[in-house]
Amino acid sequence: MQFVIFGIVTGSTLAIATIGFAMVRQTENFLNIAHAQMMALGAFIGAFLVDRFDMNIFLAGAVTVVAVGLLGVVLSAVVFRPVRNQGGTVLLFTSIGLALMIYAVIIAIFSTRSRIYSVNFGGLHEFGGVNIATGELVIVGLAVAGVIALQLFLGMTSLGRSVRAVASNGELAQVRGVPVNRVSNTIWFISSAFAAMAGVMIGVLSSVNAELGWHNSLIILAAAVLGGLRSIGGVIVAGLLLGIVMDVSALYIATAYRPVVAFGVLVAVLIVKPEGIFSVVRRKDSVVT
Amino acid sequence: MELVLDSVSKTFGGIVAVDNVSASMPHDKITALIGPNGAGKTTLFNTITGFDPPDRGSITFDGKQINGLAPWRVAELGLIRTFQTPVGFTTLTVWESMLCAATPHAVETPIQALIGRKGRASEREAETRAAGIVEELGLTELVDLRTDELSSGDRKLLEFARQLMAEPRLLLLDEPAAAVAPTNIGRLSQLIRRLRDERGLGSLIIDHNLSFLMEIADAVYVLDHGRVIAFGPPDEIAADPEVKRIYLGEQEGDQT
Amino acid sequence: MTSPVFWIGVLTLALIYGSLAMVLNVESGWGGMWDLGTAGLLASGAYFYAIVTIDDPGLGTTFVPGWPMWLAWPAAALFTGVVAFVIAIPALRLRREYFLITTLAFAEIIRHLIVIQSDLTRGTTGIANIGRPLDGMVSGRNYNYVLFAIVAFATVIVYLITRRLGTSPYGRTLRAARDNEALALALGKRVNRMRLLTFVTAGVIIGAIAPLYLFFIRAISPSLFAPGFTFTVWTALIIGGMGSIRGGVAGAVVLIVFTEAVGLIELDPSRINILIAIEPFMVGLFLILVLRFRPEGLFTERKAFGVPRAKVDSSAAPTATADSLS
Repeated sequence: MQFVIFGIVTGSTLAIATIGFAMVRQTENFLNIAHAQMMALGAFIGAFLVDRFDMNIFLAGAVTVVAVGLLGVVLSAVVFRPVRNQGGTVLLFTSIGLALMIYAVIIAIFSTRSRIYSVNFGGLHEFGGVNIATGELVIVGLAVAGVIALQLFLGMTSLGRSVRAVASNGELAQVRGVPVNRVSNTIWFISSAFAAMAGVMIGVLSSVNAELGWHNSLIILAAAVLGGLRSIGGVIVAGLLLGIVMDVSALYIATAYRPVVAFGVLVAVLIVKPEGIFSVVRRKDSVVT
Repeated sequence: MELVLDSVSKTFGGIVAVDNVSASMPHDKITALIGPNGAGKTTLFNTITGFDPPDRGSITFDGKQINGLAPWRVAELGLIRTFQTPVGFTTLTVWESMLCAATPHAVETPIQALIGRKGRASEREAETRAAGIVEELGLTELVDLRTDELSSGDRKLLEFARQLMAEPRLLLLDEPAAAVAPTNIGRLSQLIRRLRDERGLGSLIIDHNLSFLMEIADAVYVLDHGRVIAFGPPDEIAADPEVKRIYLGEQEGDQT
Repeated sequence: MTSPVFWIGVLTLALIYGSLAMVLNVESGWGGMWDLGTAGLLASGAYFYAIVTIDDPGLGTTFVPGWPMWLAWPAAALFTGVVAFVIAIPALRLRREYFLITTLAFAEIIRHLIVIQSDLTRGTTGIANIGRPLDGMVSGRNYNYVLFAIVAFATVIVYLITRRLGTSPYGRTLRAARDNEALALALGKRVNRMRLLTFVTAGVIIGAIAPLYLFFIRAISPSLFAPGFTFTVWTALIIGGMGSIRGGVAGAVVLIVFTEAVGLIELDPSRINILIAIEPFMVGLFLILVLRFRPEGLFTERKAFGVPRAKVDSSAAPTATADSLS
């Protein structure tokens, strides 16, 4: 049961990391491999702010999230927009290129050493036989808050509604006069900000090193695919499930197998149900329309 | 040799696209399949050719059961179809497309490519046949052009020429007259008829151009809402009040 | 640092990447299967070879088979083919991005398994001092030239093989199925089988290239086979031109030589961060720029297969013209 709690914590972080990825996939129609690197950036910048400037962790987190969010908008305009019409494959490989460059910058500036957040939330709480650290509670709480904030934004603001319109039918939205570039920028901001948030969370939970992005890339892909690449709810459930499966599996097999378990689940699900578990859209079986 | 459909049904998520259709088409006659939009014609094609296996019923060709077979197997048995929009093999040249259609799949493996001998003989044979068809259909000038460099009219011609290379025993033509200039429809009719008369190669044709179809068909099946509502020679069908009724419901622009 | 021996080494590495890129072109360029698992296949072949040639019990591995090179090399190729087969079974049922993700997942699974099964593979420590052909016969520095010659020879063979594959009827149908799968099926083509065979063949060739990489690197560890390796091969192919036969080699030479040259600028060895960062930075930069400004690469598929033919004369069978090939 303890491991289920661990899994929920891991899963919450994973869900936050994956929401942004799924959003971009849904609206910009490509798999953004650079997403995990934005997460790594968030982790490093957050750690840097706390370490060097002795900033309060929440403040550092907020600054990091906004900064990386804005960076994401800039990068999307400079790197992705020019090739927007070239199709998903070109965008995918462009995002790989961007991922490599961000990775290189991270190594150049922060080196390959591991670092930890010098943050101590202290306190272990106990609920019905299971322990949970304050830090872990904070993270889950923040994750929930983040999702609620996002849902409020999408549901209640006009910009949010435009985002939903583009997400469900991009071409129609454009024809209807939805400000496509503004919506695009918003989506990139949200996506990158959430990635950074997940990065800071992971930094607090464990440690930060230059490989963070690559380590999480495939797991995020897995959560996104399992979540059906379509709905936010699906992504959240997939993220939580995957987190729980990974951590609970540590009971039976060595922890080193954790990522293998995740990838194995991904492959298994793809074999059985290529559309993912929660896909709303049915993939047509017929090759011929 | 006949293509026989026996009580074939196909449902897509609640909608019955093909409803208990039974029909038989001789391989050396021209059979037309007509009906308003959404009557289930293309779905029927897809079930026959193996792209969308029927939910119920059976389909046989020359006595062999073909429902449930993979599309390539159905094609191998001689049922060759064309596609409504002749996209073709985008990056292949006309000549490459023609040869590709004729290559036996036993040749199409890496081992054969590296050390096989079968390839050369079949290539020669294919080239001879291709030269003939290309000449016949007037594609000679275009052989080195890539498919995506052709005009849509030429692409339709290529669609025909290439599928002929696959040595069909029965052609399934999906809207061959669509987007064809009226002046060329006569040549198209001539070609389809010649294939029947000179090679014994019949066709099963879907099209919305009724005048074109009625002129060349030996027999006509009329589909409406997935069901066969009439069958017979063209002049009978043309006079059938039920047929007229379902078409009167459609716009005038249905007849190109 | 700019001695000829250094550059011979650079070229050797470039040719190895180039060979891999040419193989990648067969399955991805012509076959339309976007495969992100190259590093996993290379790791399979490399580790298989490294393990079966171990003859020193002091290394502490469970197996000390001590196979000779002439046995280990083809065995490694075959083993990699089997691994490719295992991956292909689930992966080929999926399309496009799902296929891509699955191949990447398998590559990472392989890499993690190598780390975990450290009894077999010495985990992250890796295996060093792998025996090389003709090693004893040539003195230290000069060996680099010998290795270059061997690798160059192998590259020519890979080139000839991929060229044969591409220009054959099989290659033509492969490209046809890539362009329009439904049409290929409707013409009786066994597309799935063809793709499976293509993938396995690519695996076998990659497995055959693997020992060459070992001879160059001299010691392997799992971290060499991270996705970054696959991305470098892809970038080499994209630079050189997907679909063209010589593109892989051309792109690899451009990419690797350029990257090493840039590395020479940063001469201060204490700033090791920057040195390490140069390769991913250059690969990423190249990838973004090429896709933006010349996505078709240096050599196009069209140039590789464009066939000027004699006019068709229906009274005589036309002679098969040789394709004007790279």
